[in-house]
Amino acid sequence: METGFRRFSVIIAASLLASAAWAQEDDDILGEIISPDLERREIREAQIDSENFEITVFAGGVMNVEDFGSNPLYGAALAYHINEDVFMEAGYGQTELGESSFERLSGSAPLLTDEQRELSYYNLSLAWNLFPGEYFLFDRWALNSNLYLIGGIGSTDFADEEHFTYNVGAGVRVLAKDWLALRLDVRDHIFEHEIFGEAQNTNNLSAQLGISIYF
Amino acid sequence: MSARVHLYFFCMALLLCGTAAAQSPPEDAEEVTLQAPYVDVYTGPGRGYPIFHALEYGETLWLLKRRTDWVKVSTRRGITGWVRIADLGEIYGEDDEQVVLPVPDYRDYRTQDFHLGFSYGDFDGASSLGMTLGYRFTANISAEVRATQAVGEFSDSQTYQVAVVHQPFPDWRLSPYFMLGTGINITSPNATIVATEDRRDTAMLTGVGIKTHLSRRFALRAELANHYLLTSRENNQEIVEWKLGFDVFL
Repeated sequence: METGFRRFSVIIAASLLASAAWAQEDDDILGEIISPDLERREIREAQIDSENFEITVFAGGVMNVEDFGSNPLYGAALAYHINEDVFMEAGYGQTELGESSFERLSGSAPLLTDEQRELSYYNLSLAWNLFPGEYFLFDRWALNSNLYLIGGIGSTDFADEEHFTYNVGAGVRVLAKDWLALRLDVRDHIFEHEIFGEAQNTNNLSAQLGISIYF
Repeated sequence: MSARVHLYFFCMALLLCGTAAAQSPPEDAEEVTLQAPYVDVYTGPGRGYPIFHALEYGETLWLLKRRTDWVKVSTRRGITGWVRIADLGEIYGEDDEQVVLPVPDYRDYRTQDFHLGFSYGDFDGASSLGMTLGYRFTANISAEVRATQAVGEFSDSQTYQVAVVHQPFPDWRLSPYFMLGTGINITSPNATIVATEDRRDTAMLTGVGIKTHLSRRFALRAELANHYLLTSRENNQEIVEWKLGFDVFL
């Protein structure tokens, strides 16, 4: 009886051990097959500056407001370069209106007060660098450049009124350094006003020379 | 003899200066090793600029700065030019870790926090120009501060609002949203018609719209909003506004 029990328990224990060992072996085989023999590679982002913003100061500009003559224009713009082809720009400018031909010829009282002659505009535009390229200066320098087409919407404020304004234009940017550029921008500001009694659609051209810095 | 010695020293000095200048890493530059077969170097950050050099496998280079999809690099030999980010997939840092230059995409759009929006629209017949600053609390819910200026034939208005925006299906390619808000409308009738005063009314805002990721940091957005003005006059006023614009996530 006792030997029978012993034999039985030995068989049980042996089979348990064997199965455990089998399982162990099985695990190892599977493990060898499954577990990748690769080290996990570390990845990090490069710690470098992005220069996608461009701030421009327009100092030498002139703006012609239909019927009110041409006057100096000052302004600034902030651009964000989306990719090498497209950038968007928020712009601001101010100028003063001259005397209209009506006021000069009729000799009557001025139509607008001095304060009402101050014109300011802001706009948001999208531009396309249509002709990127290089300008060659003598033998020595090759300057990167862009000719861009630009258009957008905004608001023009003068004579105590806001005027919804569309702008279209083109410009040239010449980069003296990677971060420094010279810009010449020509724009048509199109808006409607009613100063002379009836609504009239006006085209107002501006040309401005600016210096811009990328940051 | 002595002239030759002088010349020799001069040449040595020149050589030393030259190598020192070429090998000293520029400030703020990141040193990496290239493990791609070769990479073209352009004179400018654009596809049309001439390729004037090729970087070799195993070459050490310094990443100087980045503009849109281009990186300015400089080599030990003193060559400086622009390289496409797409070509810099295989660069490794000093500890052999991979260095990547992230380009924002749809995943970033979905995990954005702040966004800045610009829009053009029609505010009851007047052309409007709008600006939005939004913050996303969860995938579905965001809050927005909105300002609109509308310039019309008979009156100009400015609106300032705060709104809650709910996007029930943020993962959809075209994701609809619903909006509830409140704010003020300032209406100034054009002085040339009749001399009237500016009106300032509290407004309730409801709206529906649709958003879709365009590319990079940009999402396109179309919206139809109803402004319900609680006026001090006999009747309240309802203004319907539609808008088309884009969001830039920051």
